[in-house]
Amino acid sequence: MTTTPRLHWWLSLALLALCGGVVVVFLGPQKFLPVRARPAGDENVLRIVYSQALRPDPHVRPAPISSYNLFILSLWEPLVECDPATGEPRPAAAASWSWSSDYRTLTLKLRPDARWSNGDRVTAADFVRGWLRLLRQRVALAYALFPVKNAEAYHRGARDKPAAVGLRALDDFTLQVELDEPRTSLVAELADPLLAPLHESTEKVLAEYRFYKQPASLVTNGPFRLIGVSGDGYRLESCPFYHGRAQVRLAGVQFIRATYAMTGALMVAAGEADVVPSMSYAPEREWPSNRPTVVESELTLGVAANFFNVTRGPLRDLRVRRALALALNRENLIEESDRTRMVPAWSWVPDMPGRKGLALFEENSAQARQLLAEAGYPGGRGLPVLRMSLPLWMEGDTYAVASTERWFRELGVRTYVAYEAPAARNERLNAGDYDITYGSLVATVPDAADLLSTFTMPAEYTETKWHDDETSRLLAAANHKTGVERLALLEQAERRAMAAVPAVPLMFERRHTLRSSEVQGWYGDPLARQSPKRLWLELVPAMSPGDPTPGT
Amino acid sequence: MKHSTGSGTEAGWRNARWGWGLWLVGTIALVAFLWWDARAWLQDAPQATFRTTKLNLWPLEILWWLFVPAILLVQRSLTRVDRHWPWALGLHGLLAAVITGLFIIAQAGRLLLVNHLPVSFLPVVVDDMRWLGEWSYLPALIYLAVILALYAFGYYREWRAGQRLTHQLQVANAQLETRLVRASLDALKMQLHPHFLFNTLNSITSLIRNNRTREAEDIVAGLGGLLRRSLDHRQEAMDTLEHELDFLRRYFEIESIRFQDRLKVEYEIDPKCLRAEVPSLLLQPLAENAMKHGISKDPAARLLRISAARDGTRLVLTVYNDGPPLPKDEAALNLGIGLQNSHARLLMLYGDEARLRLRDTPPHGVRAEIILPFRPSPSP
Repeated sequence: MTTTPRLHWWLSLALLALCGGVVVVFLGPQKFLPVRARPAGDENVLRIVYSQALRPDPHVRPAPISSYNLFILSLWEPLVECDPATGEPRPAAAASWSWSSDYRTLTLKLRPDARWSNGDRVTAADFVRGWLRLLRQRVALAYALFPVKNAEAYHRGARDKPAAVGLRALDDFTLQVELDEPRTSLVAELADPLLAPLHESTEKVLAEYRFYKQPASLVTNGPFRLIGVSGDGYRLESCPFYHGRAQVRLAGVQFIRATYAMTGALMVAAGEADVVPSMSYAPEREWPSNRPTVVESELTLGVAANFFNVTRGPLRDLRVRRALALALNRENLIEESDRTRMVPAWSWVPDMPGRKGLALFEENSAQARQLLAEAGYPGGRGLPVLRMSLPLWMEGDTYAVASTERWFRELGVRTYVAYEAPAARNERLNAGDYDITYGSLVATVPDAADLLSTFTMPAEYTETKWHDDETSRLLAAANHKTGVERLALLEQAERRAMAAVPAVPLMFERRHTLRSSEVQGWYGDPLARQSPKRLWLELVPAMSPGDPTPGT
Repeated sequence: MKHSTGSGTEAGWRNARWGWGLWLVGTIALVAFLWWDARAWLQDAPQATFRTTKLNLWPLEILWWLFVPAILLVQRSLTRVDRHWPWALGLHGLLAAVITGLFIIAQAGRLLLVNHLPVSFLPVVVDDMRWLGEWSYLPALIYLAVILALYAFGYYREWRAGQRLTHQLQVANAQLETRLVRASLDALKMQLHPHFLFNTLNSITSLIRNNRTREAEDIVAGLGGLLRRSLDHRQEAMDTLEHELDFLRRYFEIESIRFQDRLKVEYEIDPKCLRAEVPSLLLQPLAENAMKHGISKDPAARLLRISAARDGTRLVLTVYNDGPPLPKDEAALNLGIGLQNSHARLLMLYGDEARLRLRDTPPHGVRAEIILPFRPSPSP
């Protein structure tokens, strides 16, 4: 037996080479990497990255919503679209619209020049067909049409005749929508990509997946049409039949699948792609190439909040609820790593196009302590332990319980956090056997009323158990108004609801989009309904490695 | 310490060649299949994508197949340095890290190809994977577990080889001991024949002197048969009781000529005992003693009785004569070379399990008794 460590020379050499190779890869250069030139013929093709499966079906909406919206709004055009600056509805497939005097019937006139990608005319019947398909699908997305008369009943199977639904194609170019209740926000709601029309052939093409091998078989009415499908994504080209083709500056759009949003960002850095929608946070790493990029940021239309059960013990007292709201410190609540994503919420409705968020809350621990003392609980003494009910999946979510720590430190209020399985928690919520919950609301309609509607529901169905007739009246009145009058009523409703503090808004969320500086025309949208038809490319020469790294 | 025989090494090399061959065939088959599956993508066909190839879809663990020979080779090499365990430990640690790194790089390579990123982005992808928590350290654990198992198996095999060697040595020792015992037995047997011959030749001489030539001739003929038979069994340490009694009968035929009609020999033999195994020429010295110290000492004595019976697991052999009792001073003393030899042989063959004793049987007579384990003879 030899006692000398001895390996074959070639084995030692191989090991050394392997180690060297691994070290080179792990410590290799990560800056100033070369950028690939745009492929010939693609100079005017926008390349968008998506990281979750996409399907060219307006009624299958995967997350993240922005990739889906970009894809569907490339292929289909709804009746209206919202102005990026004001949020006001603008004609798209519809040329005009009018309300009946009671705001229960909306009549839309379609463009006579609207064409499908195969040249067929787009008719009102195509919208009715598409919307009825949405209602027939047993998916949660059908709620978008629930304001329409009998739509929910048809969706749930309580009514089986499509004719019962308040949708009428009065003629080829006239569509009539009958509502259960007045809802002037409905016009803006029609900008939802879900409410795209369907060509008579489309349902079958989607059901048979024919578009994979015959992309042209998918007939759409949007600014682009499908010309290629592969495992790596979809290729679209500008549609020659689109009524607004003169305004569409892109020759095509390519949707490229990436494994993660982060690898999508690398694709942008390498010159393989131009846009990564739905970056959950701004990339913090050093940018690997000199390709100029911009991180766009927009507030989403949603709010994370604590909900107080106003029928429970000390929380019946407005002073206690206000004290709990005043004692918060939203800036400290947000974790350092989330600074670019989360924003302190001082109102229930965040900033949105045409409507600035209100400043309804403030933070003042001294005043909070005073209010609590006035309510009979100085330093939290005498106040029972508050039960916070959270779903099991929220265990580990630091935001859900961050307020409880603050309440204890500032007010001496103790909280018991109970994580519960869905069935047990539902039972507890229905029975009202809790004091506080935490959750998020996300709007699906570009209108403040959507977030505020949680305060108009019957008390037994809400987490706050709070109901105020006047707030409900104000929101109902807003549904009879449009424009400035409507906004004023919504503001009154929000102020009134927040003054009663049934819930405390904590944070709003930002959505990030990474784009190459070559991409022009990008605009913010709280519901991420950007349409590629508004975008264009301005190619810039590639920067040399010596040039300063562009700010992101 | 490694122990192997020439044939063992040859078998080991044969197995190793088979192993390498199988690995090579498997590798070629695997590469060929992966190439065939990804041919469209490799040929840059339109619509073809790396994403749907098995190269991307199959679990990365397939890499272990490629690593197996390298791991075995390294482990085999490092086993030789086991007395330098810090070296082995360090090298295995390094290898575990390298293999983990290779897995991470392979995963990053996949991400690179799936996302159409240039090769120069590989370090960036590797770093991004760390951000995403996609660095898996499982390969290091698997490697170390496999190495531990290989070491354990190796040591177990060596232990088994040691055990086998010990057993072989024990067998060899036992065989050597048996050979020594057999040599001793042969030497003792060799002492019997001269002793008997001496007595018989004395008898023949006496007969010739007394002009009893006819009887002397009979004895010579009987002796010739006896010696022939004795020579036939010379190489055998054990014999059946049946053969032993047959030998004894021939012996008494000679003795009865010497003693004319005075000698009466009786046999009380349990037939079940005839196939029992006994040391060859065991009874003859006892019979000779009975003749010498019993029958020939007392003119009235004439009976000699041989008996054999089974007592459970024991065989009881007796030789009785109705001659005078044992001399007082001789009972515990040496009764002759033949008897001593019989005693020594019993001790060597059976140890404490066998016994030989002489007893007076008042009013007259002496009985010699041998007790030994009852064992049926293996020979037919």
